[in-house]
Amino acid sequence: MKGKKRRVITIHSSRGGTGKTVIATNLAAIYANKGLNVVLLDLDFRAPSLVAVFSKTIKGPIKHWLGDFLDGRCKAKQALIDVSEGYNFRGKLLVGFANPSIDAIRNLVEKSRAWEVTAVKKLFSLRSTLFNEMGIDCCIFDTSPGVQYTSVNAVVSSDISVIVTTYDSLDMKGVENMLVELYDAFAKKTVVLVNKVFPETRMWSNREQKQLISRMEKVLRHPVIGVIPCFCDVLQAKRTSLLAVEKPNHPFVRNLEEVAEKLEVGVETNLEEKVVGK
Amino acid sequence: MATKAKSATLGAEKLLSQLVDGLNQINKKLDSIIQLNKNILRIQKELLKKCGIQGPSVTERKISPDVLSLLSLPAALRKTVMVLYKLEKATAEGLAKETGRLRAVESAAANQLVRLGYLKKKREGREVYFYIESPMEIEK
Repeated sequence: MKGKKRRVITIHSSRGGTGKTVIATNLAAIYANKGLNVVLLDLDFRAPSLVAVFSKTIKGPIKHWLGDFLDGRCKAKQALIDVSEGYNFRGKLLVGFANPSIDAIRNLVEKSRAWEVTAVKKLFSLRSTLFNEMGIDCCIFDTSPGVQYTSVNAVVSSDISVIVTTYDSLDMKGVENMLVELYDAFAKKTVVLVNKVFPETRMWSNREQKQLISRMEKVLRHPVIGVIPCFCDVLQAKRTSLLAVEKPNHPFVRNLEEVAEKLEVGVETNLEEKVVGK
Repeated sequence: MATKAKSATLGAEKLLSQLVDGLNQINKKLDSIIQLNKNILRIQKELLKKCGIQGPSVTERKISPDVLSLLSLPAALRKTVMVLYKLEKATAEGLAKETGRLRAVESAAANQLVRLGYLKKKREGREVYFYIESPMEIEK
């Protein structure tokens, strides 16, 4: 996004288990590998997982969590930890971690509606800190599934949302409802990424894949930015491994690189025109 | 043909301008009714106090404009609140710059949100600012 519009991307889903966090972390790694300065925030306060993903690269105890920033107990910069050194990225990767302790989860889940108003304003103010003061090119929000305050706050304060779904009918129905009742209501730019699609699609021709995308776009009435087949080794990989770093030639990473490219460039051109009802 | 199109545009502009004037007048009348109501309540409270009667407590309506509450608002009002998440405070002119709508439309929307209890407004010199009252100080 150097020389291009800096943007905040929300990775969201209607239900759990769609591969949201794997997508968010690897997308951040792909951008950082390209030389961009990236911030990845764990906004999944109910089930924080980024601490586990980056556990090997975190040096010493974490002094400030993302919740502390939203609570006004620390500045944004203090809640961001630079993990790029551990991966030899060309750019920077800073991560804002959510505290995985039960006390912290309970504390954040019990917050009032008034607190949520402050939280969404904080997320908006974070943009200027990241883009104008810290030279960040891209910020990625990894959110909780479904309609919860932190997720909706993230959607409202971001430039574009990527809804990750599987091809499961319940997932697709959930996405369909969420698109109409949430995303369209806030008039936010939204694309859908279908993950863990049946492995046979790997053997499909480009024409067949395009037909599948076209069918889904007709149902969802929003652009489908990519279809990633299910890979057993991705499902079995340790959560601490970043495929984009360890296996950059893996087809999962190749697929995600295409998605990253579209988010970087394509959404501003052809995809945007395809958004129905905008 | 060109003359016809030009006169149609002028007609539409005139109509729009009349509509905006009408909205402004309604706004002013509503504001004066609200002020009148406040004065009546204040006088009533003073009279009750003088007579030694404890009247019902009158509290200002205040609603927290969180993201999920916004879903119950009409789209036009929702857009105004979303701009104020970003701007902290703004005049009708400032809101209009962000939304791309007319200043009068923004003024009407923001004033309606004040009446509903979602926003607050304050005067600073000649400008009237709309803002979201937050229980926590926003740290930049």
